[in-house]
Amino acid sequence: MGAQLSEKLQDVFNEPGCDKNQGKSDKERKKGCTKQLSPGAAAGGCAFDGAKIALQPIVDVAHLVHGPIACEGNSWDNRHALSSGAATYRTGFTTDINELDVIYGGEKRLYKAVKEIIDKYDPPAVFVYQTCVTALIGDDIEAVCKAAGKKFNKPVIPVNSPGFAGVKNLGNKLGGEALLDYVIGTAEPEYTTPYDINIIGEYNLSGELWQVKPLLDAMGVRVLACISGDARYQEVAYSHRAKAAMMVCSKAMVNISRKMEERYNIPFFEGSFYGIGDMSDSLREIARLLVQQGAPDGIIARTEALIAAEEARAWARIEPYKARLKGKRVLLITGGVKSWSVVAALQEVGIEIVGTSVKKSTKEDKERIKEIMGEEAHMIDDMPPREMYKMLKEARADIMLSGGRSQFIALKAKMPWLDINQERHHAFAGYEGMVKLVQEIDKTLYNPVWEQVRLPAPWDVAGVLPSASVRLPNRPAAQGWPLEGRGENALDSSLSSAG
Amino acid sequence: MPQNAENILDHENLFRQPEYVEMFENKKKNFEFSVPVDKVKEIIEWTKSKDYQEKNFARDSLTVNPAKACQPLGAVFVANGFARTLSFVHGSQGCVAYYRSHFSRHFKEPTSCVSSSMTEDAAVFGGLNNMIDGLANTHSLYKPDMIAVSTTCMAEVIGDDLNAFIKTAKEKGSVPMEYDVPFAHTPAFVGSHITGYDNALMGILRHFWDGKADTAPKLERVPNESINFIGGFDGFVVGNIPEIRRIFKTMGIEHTFLCDPSDNWNTPTDGTYRMYDGGTTKQQVIDALNAKATIVFQQFSAEKTAKLIADHGQEVVSLNHPMGVAGTDQFLMELSRITGKPIPAELELERGRLVDAIADSQAHLHGKKYALYGDPDLMLGLTQFLLELGAEPTHVLSTNGDDKWAAKVQALFDASPFGKNCKVYPKRDLWHMRSLLFTEPVDFLIGNTYGKYLERDTGTPLIRLVFPIFDRHHYHRMPIWGYEGAMRVLVMLLDEFFEALDANTIIPGKTDYSYDIIR
Repeated sequence: MGAQLSEKLQDVFNEPGCDKNQGKSDKERKKGCTKQLSPGAAAGGCAFDGAKIALQPIVDVAHLVHGPIACEGNSWDNRHALSSGAATYRTGFTTDINELDVIYGGEKRLYKAVKEIIDKYDPPAVFVYQTCVTALIGDDIEAVCKAAGKKFNKPVIPVNSPGFAGVKNLGNKLGGEALLDYVIGTAEPEYTTPYDINIIGEYNLSGELWQVKPLLDAMGVRVLACISGDARYQEVAYSHRAKAAMMVCSKAMVNISRKMEERYNIPFFEGSFYGIGDMSDSLREIARLLVQQGAPDGIIARTEALIAAEEARAWARIEPYKARLKGKRVLLITGGVKSWSVVAALQEVGIEIVGTSVKKSTKEDKERIKEIMGEEAHMIDDMPPREMYKMLKEARADIMLSGGRSQFIALKAKMPWLDINQERHHAFAGYEGMVKLVQEIDKTLYNPVWEQVRLPAPWDVAGVLPSASVRLPNRPAAQGWPLEGRGENALDSSLSSAG
Repeated sequence: MPQNAENILDHENLFRQPEYVEMFENKKKNFEFSVPVDKVKEIIEWTKSKDYQEKNFARDSLTVNPAKACQPLGAVFVANGFARTLSFVHGSQGCVAYYRSHFSRHFKEPTSCVSSSMTEDAAVFGGLNNMIDGLANTHSLYKPDMIAVSTTCMAEVIGDDLNAFIKTAKEKGSVPMEYDVPFAHTPAFVGSHITGYDNALMGILRHFWDGKADTAPKLERVPNESINFIGGFDGFVVGNIPEIRRIFKTMGIEHTFLCDPSDNWNTPTDGTYRMYDGGTTKQQVIDALNAKATIVFQQFSAEKTAKLIADHGQEVVSLNHPMGVAGTDQFLMELSRITGKPIPAELELERGRLVDAIADSQAHLHGKKYALYGDPDLMLGLTQFLLELGAEPTHVLSTNGDDKWAAKVQALFDASPFGKNCKVYPKRDLWHMRSLLFTEPVDFLIGNTYGKYLERDTGTPLIRLVFPIFDRHHYHRMPIWGYEGAMRVLVMLLDEFFEALDANTIIPGKTDYSYDIIR
């Protein structure tokens, strides 16, 4: 690991904005805040992936992955982060290095790749991602980016977050560091207003930002930059001129929020777009911060009026579902901010939360959960698939809300399941999103297939037909834990903390 | 001209070239003197209205775009399902050419069938001579083991008596006296192709079981453990019969298919022309009388046949094209009940996989609205499967479905919360469907190739699961019956869903913000 990179890691691990981090001794802090990986156990994504997903939603930038094919091949455009304009971010750019590059170094190829991108696509900037192999052979992407940027007179941003640096969440932060080091503060907006804000840690998955933006428009608030959902390079570059910031996903980009506060005096708060109450709180907080920063205080009344109207509308639309959903038990397996923001949202419609995972949640996240669910909140730190399966199988829950990777555990346990992570097909943010989420939960719960799934084949009901069904030769009877022998974490339940 | 030898434009592009566009415009302006464009537009818009729908549904004489075919088509289907049997349609030859092309376009295989080629004098004096010459020629030219006779309307209108004609033809030496010539009267002005299927199949069974038109002793039934299977008129027969055979074999059930055209319409290209291939043999038909029971997979396709079999002392189980999970469950449980054999684990495994696949994709089809039309039993099966998926079969229409059928569909609606807003339309045609698709739009249409005009007019994506399918190849080779078949249907429904979603998000820079890799 290069000296530069380990220095960066120390910096990232020392996060004053994180209570948990500050509660540690110096020695502990040095170890880093990410849990050590245990070899042999299946794990989630790597630091490269984390950096890539954190930055890829910047839509007009060419994201060039310097490494062998697998890194880009597997991460190419797989997160439903939507764009309202340029689609450059959806094109897969990679240096696709080969054996000779490993021997002789891949810097020249990288330089040429940057040149070709600029020649053919002319994006406002090129982001270059370091990967394990190119880091191991010692390719200095910072130097190449510097040289290329100078030569082509175009920002070429190194994102130094090779996979071996750590887990995905660390990569989210390293991606943020790249923005802090090379992008933020490098341009000036045409004009500013007292109502300019940044939204940090929102990725516009399935277009969620668009469910919120009309509300901000109605308040008269301008989103100067969203980092990084549906963002343009220029917006990120001049985002330091915002008056206030909202941080949406705490674990992923707390470093950006805190450092922007330090460097540019932009106060931030942590809020959520999920759930009616949380959405309203977030709007209030935005208004409050802006007034605190000198905006005329008329915005407070405007915001309250908007909240009243929107809440009434949303409740009216949710009302018909309340009777159908009341008392339904939900198991939430997700990470970070969603662990509490979705809890509050679901409680609002009378759904009972039997448990929520806190594997990727911060201390603050956990505090919020306790606030919302009470001290006895059933927090599941790291639920192995076997436990999850058992819980679902025993029908202690009616539905599981999780990311795509836990889907199959739910299905095999005959449990309705709804995707609330990055691969989901619906946007759940804002008032509109909450109505949508309730609709989707209702649809999923009442899908007729669950009845089918839970019933045995009709001929298995004793006495109906000649019994003793014939077993297939060489095929043991399927019983108990269906994933036996594949290791505890074979189906990893961990989910993106950036999502 | 835009067409030149260096670069030959195909039809879909040629007439869009400026020269042609201009020519058509001139022709329209100077020679056609047609209704003004605005007026045409206005009327088109009117045809989409509720007002027009009322008038459309008040039609009592005219049928527009019928979703059915005529009886002899079903009779030809049946004849094709028996070993070395040639279908002989007594009547005008044009009709027969239709049946052959109809089947060949669907199955992409030659369909052998001859006609007695009646002409004007035959219409006046009766078609006896045509029968005499026709049977003689058929027998000597094509050497079938059996000739299955049916009729076109022409012969029916003048009242030709097949029984007497065939007897006379035999006396005149057209074919040997003991030669098998089963027959069925199949007038097109009664019923539809499924009625023809029924009549033709009954004709063959009666011929062999009931003394070959008084030329042999009637057979005595000596019951055994075997099961007969009658599939009914089925556009997916090439895929379905092997699937059913596999199920029978897996369960270890001795079985006979009464009418199996799955080989005849699925011959290999290996240098040998097979005029006849596969099919139910005469001996199998004779033995079928002794079976323990007969499964009729499509009730409305074999009502009279079912009665004939029941009258001979067999148990007859009539189903309504069961498909999907519950449908296939029902079919297997009937088999198990009749035979006393358990349902093997292998099939239960397939069932589990199907349920798994449905659960994997449940979010996508849930609440989607479908309009469907076709033969009555297929409609029942599809309705059942769609409801099982949480989809809503909003309009279920059948030109050849009667009120009895409609009541059965309604019963399916009533049994499911997803059937609440669904409606069944017996004895209606595709022009009725057109109105429905405008006034109460749905997400998808399930039908045959002729549904593509509805797709064009109404923008409702079409899923081809109904005979005939002329404009897509080889669908008929895949089963839609059994758990495996349900999987195929599920994939077809999902494919169209995803295709529609992709098509709706495919414009670069405009809608492609949702054009996603992962669906």
